[in-house]
Parts: sequence; structure tokens; C-alpha cells
Amino acid sequence: MAAPYVITSKALGNATTPPASDRIVIGGIGIGNMGSGDQGAFLGRSDVQYVAVCDVRRNWRDDGKGRVDGKYGNKDCAAYVDFRELLARDDIDAVHIATPDHWHAIMTIAACRAGKDVYLQKPETLTLREGPLMIAAARRYGRVVSGGSQRVLEDYRDIVNPSWSGEIGTLKAVDISVGGPSMPCYLPAVATPPDIDWDLWLGPAPWEPYNPGRCDGNFGTGGGSWRSYLDYSGGSLTDWGAHHFGGAIFAADLRELQPASVAFHPASGGAGPYVSLTYPNGVAVHHNRPQPLRPERPSVAHGGDIQVHADGTPREGKPVPVYKGEGGIYGDFIDCVKTRAKPFRDIELAVNTMTGPHMIAIAYRLERSLTWDRSAQRFTGDDEANRLLDRARREPWIL
Amino acid sequence: MAFDLNSLDAPFIALAGFDWGADADFFKSIDAAAVAAHGDASLRGELEKRFGALLAGSTSRATKEYVCRKLAMIGTAVSVPALAALLTDADNSHMARFALERIDLPEAAAALRKALGVVEGSLKIGMISSLASRGDLQSVAAISNLLGGDATIAAAAAAALGTLSTPEAAAALAAAKPAGDMAAAVVDARLACAEAFLAKGDRKAAKAIYSSISASIGDAPKTHRERAVRVAAKRGLLAAAE
Repeated sequence: MAAPYVITSKALGNATTPPASDRIVIGGIGIGNMGSGDQGAFLGRSDVQYVAVCDVRRNWRDDGKGRVDGKYGNKDCAAYVDFRELLARDDIDAVHIATPDHWHAIMTIAACRAGKDVYLQKPETLTLREGPLMIAAARRYGRVVSGGSQRVLEDYRDIVNPSWSGEIGTLKAVDISVGGPSMPCYLPAVATPPDIDWDLWLGPAPWEPYNPGRCDGNFGTGGGSWRSYLDYSGGSLTDWGAHHFGGAIFAADLRELQPASVAFHPASGGAGPYVSLTYPNGVAVHHNRPQPLRPERPSVAHGGDIQVHADGTPREGKPVPVYKGEGGIYGDFIDCVKTRAKPFRDIELAVNTMTGPHMIAIAYRLERSLTWDRSAQRFTGDDEANRLLDRARREPWIL
Repeated sequence: MAFDLNSLDAPFIALAGFDWGADADFFKSIDAAAVAAHGDASLRGELEKRFGALLAGSTSRATKEYVCRKLAMIGTAVSVPALAALLTDADNSHMARFALERIDLPEAAAALRKALGVVEGSLKIGMISSLASRGDLQSVAAISNLLGGDATIAAAAAAALGTLSTPEAAAALAAAKPAGDMAAAVVDARLACAEAFLAKGDRKAAKAIYSSISASIGDAPKTHRERAVRVAAKRGLLAAAE
């Protein structure tokens, strides 16, 4: 005798929860510090059905599954070690990715090819080469790919509002104070614990021995965390820098542009070196420019570690872009998944933004100024700089 | 001011005996020399000579990895033989490849092509990827021949042909008989070829690919991937018709 076909009340929905057919089915890849926060935001939405987690660490994987099962009161959340198994599930509409940065491009491109929409933690790219490939994958398959800096729109109102309103005039320069690039890692080998798939944690990164300080997910960038090291992160420059550069570039309305050049200024007079980007419209973005060198400007706005300098002649303004939907940047993403609109931090805008810090890192490393050819996505006349467009990639993980 | 080569003697001795966990402060001197070698052929040559000796010697994996990182930035044809010798070494192949991929000289391409015919498994995927990243059109035929073999290697070959996007690569992809996961790789590569043809103004070639993919998917795609491919093909057809 066939079992009766049962439709649950959860599947049908109610006054506050849409029916299952109208919910966006989501899985999370990389479910540690930032991933758990992203998971919480999506899990709290009535228009999302969260069905799977993936992490190479057992404890984070188990915790992530536990949060989902606890929310829904069942044991249904699937848990994967290998992201490819999660992407192979056809019931999943979208994924959020919060792995270390060296996985971002490969996973995003794979998700697009699988027909998934993607919410990707910042910094979206680890290298300059990755960005165009990620944009191409998103555009090719018509995917919604949102970058994941919630601070860009929300934390820098003090500079965004007067810049977009035109009250301080035409913006000429921006100063950003944030830490520098990542560093090499030479930590010793330690016995690999059984609760991590080390080979999969490394993935495309060069092989290095396990050490807990190499892969710790804490937010420090001075050593003892993956955010500190060259193979997995751009350091503070791209980690917090994704927020600061994101806010500054948004305030200056430069998100559609990429820098035309980067100037390296050697250490001088007791002050360390600093670097300046120049955008095609003439706006300069300085990284850690020593305070005494800052020229007086008629109008200066401060947003934490960012200062914008304008000419002080009021001009016609325009409205500040806003998130779509409800619920901040997460709501923006979900709304765009439904409507197929471009999200606030569309992957192309995110890539443009991150191009600046990546260029800065290369200028610091080579200790010289460089010119960027956006159409070719290469530095002009500098072979060594072009050799730094990408990191080493370990087989079989290819872009 | 000329770089003081004598100042590198002690750091290079330390590098020869280095392993993970050892004091790495001496790297700063060598890093600085590599940066200073920009426009200084003499210094670059001296560094390459010393690096090459370390690659050929019985040094640790950590030492070889560091050397490959430096040669990725400053290596020339002089370093190709020492790097090429590591391509068949499972531990060091990816770092040697990293350096060779960036040496924009025929000697480096030839070394990667030669290794492609020798190595197997994941290492072969590495060679395929590096040759594609270099835009090495001479490897199209060899890579095309891999479409019919092991599925994982065939998927990497398909991706590489999509990157290279020549008419020959597109023809090989069209003739492929993909199965399983490789099917998605072949379709993606064919879409990449079509985009490249469109960018070059060859609408006819692009349209042919988009039409073929569109027909293969049909009007009732069943999965997310099939729907996304259909979107790609339909958009491509519109672009090719404009």
C-alpha cells in the first residue's frame, strides 16, 4: 500500500513564511567566523530555506549544521567536506561563500557554471587575474553574484552623503589609512589534526605543512591567521581594506572605474613609504599617506580612517544608491535573486574596487610606480609586475 | 648604486639549509636583491645562477618553493632547465610551473609542452593549465588529444581550449564526446570560444556555437545548470545577431 502523500504546513507556508516553492534554497560554503554570520543572516529570513553547509573543518561543519537543524527543528541540513558535492545539488538555488580568499574565485566560477547565484564574502578576489574570470562566469550564465562588504553602504555615511549630495563640491582626493599587504608564511610543520581536510583547505594554494597559525580564522593580520599570509589573503590591505577602499571608492563614485596608475613614494623623513592610485578622472586615492604631506583642501570629510578632499564648490548632487529588498546587504542579494537585478555590490563593482588594493600591494612589493591598462588587464611595460597578476596555483585546481 | 653581492653570501648559505619553522629573517636580503634586479641584468644573472644551484641540489621542499617564487618574478631562459627538471616531481611541480608559466620566452613554453607529454594525473592538469594561461597556441593540438581520455584531465583540457579559443580549439571541443562532469566543462569552454569569436567580430562562428549549444539543451531545461546554459546560449545568439 502506498504511503499517503503529505504536505506539511511548513511547505505550504503561512502568513509570515512563503510556501516552499517561493523560498530561495541556500547552502553555505566556509561556515566559520564570517560564514557563520552570513549563515545567521540568511537563516533568519522567512524567504530562505537553508539546506546545506560545507566546510573542511569538522567542528565548524557540525556547528553550522547544528544551527540550521536547530532553527528548523529537524536533522535535515546536509553537511559536506567538498564544495563540489554541494554545488552538484540541483535543489540549491544560491550559495554563500566565506572561505579563505584563495578559494573565492574557483568556487564562485564553479557555482556560476552550476547555475547558482552567489553571495561572496569580501575581499572577493585574491589576485588581479581572478576578477575578469569571475565577472565573465557571472555574465555568461546570467548569475547574480554579490560581493560581501556590508560596511560599504552602511559605515561611511559621513563621507558618502556630502560627496554624493554635492555639498562639498567635486572630489579631488581620498586618504585611506589601513594596514599593509600580507606576508610570506614560514611556520613549522605540526601534525595535522584529524578534524581538518588539510589538502582541501589548501586547495589551489601552494603546498605547505599544516600549522594551526597558518589556517586560523581570527581577524588578525600580523601573523598566526590565514589573513596574514600571502598565499591565502592580501592582508589588512585587502581584508579591512575591502571595507575602507569600498567605502572610499563608493563615496568618490569610482566604482565603475579602475585605477589608471599607482605611484610608489619611498620612505622619507622618518615616515614609511606610501602609495597613491590615480583614477582616469583624475581623482587620487592615497594609502597611508603621511599626515604632514596632506595638502590643505577647502573641504574635507572624515569617515573613520578615510578622508575625502573636495574643491569646496557645491555642485548638483545625485541620490545615494540603496539596497533592494529588506535586510541590508543580505536582503539586497535575496531580492536580486528573485528579480534578477544587479545587487549593490555586483561582482563587477567589487572587482573594480579590489583592483586598487591589489595594485597597491604590487607597487609596495616592487617598490616602484606602475601604469595599468584596464582593457588588457595588464601593467604597461613592466614584465615583473605582470608576473604578479596571479598567485601560484596547485593542481588540480585551475582557473 | 651597484648591489653588494657579498652581502648575499650568508643569506644564500642560510637558504640552502632552510626548512619551514627556521629563522627566515635572511629572506629580506634576498627579497631586496630580487627587487633590485629590475633593470640590472648582472644582478639578475647572479641571482639566477645561485637559485639554479639550489634547485639542482639536495635542498628542502621549503627552499625550492622559495626559490621558485623568486624565479617566478625574475627568471629568464637561464633558469628554465633547473625549473623544468622539477616539473615531473610531484612535490615541486606546481611551484616550478608557477615560475615557468611567467617566463615569457619560448624555452619556458617548450619545457611545459615537453612535460605535458610525460607527466600523468594531476600534474598533467597543471601543465595544461599553465600552457593555457600562457596563451600557448602551439599546444592546442596536444591538449585537444586529451579530450578523449581520463575525464578529469579531459575537463581540464576543455577548459584550456576555451581559454585558447582558436578555431582549432573550438572544432576539437565541438567534436568531443563528453560525459558526466566533463560535459559541463566542454559546454563552458565552447561558450568561452563563442565569446572570443564575438569579441573578434566573427559572428558567424559564434552563432554556430551558440546554436549548437542551444539545440542540445532544448527548450525545457531541467536543472539549474541547464537553465544557465540556455540563458548563455540565448544571450549569445542575440549578441551574434546584432
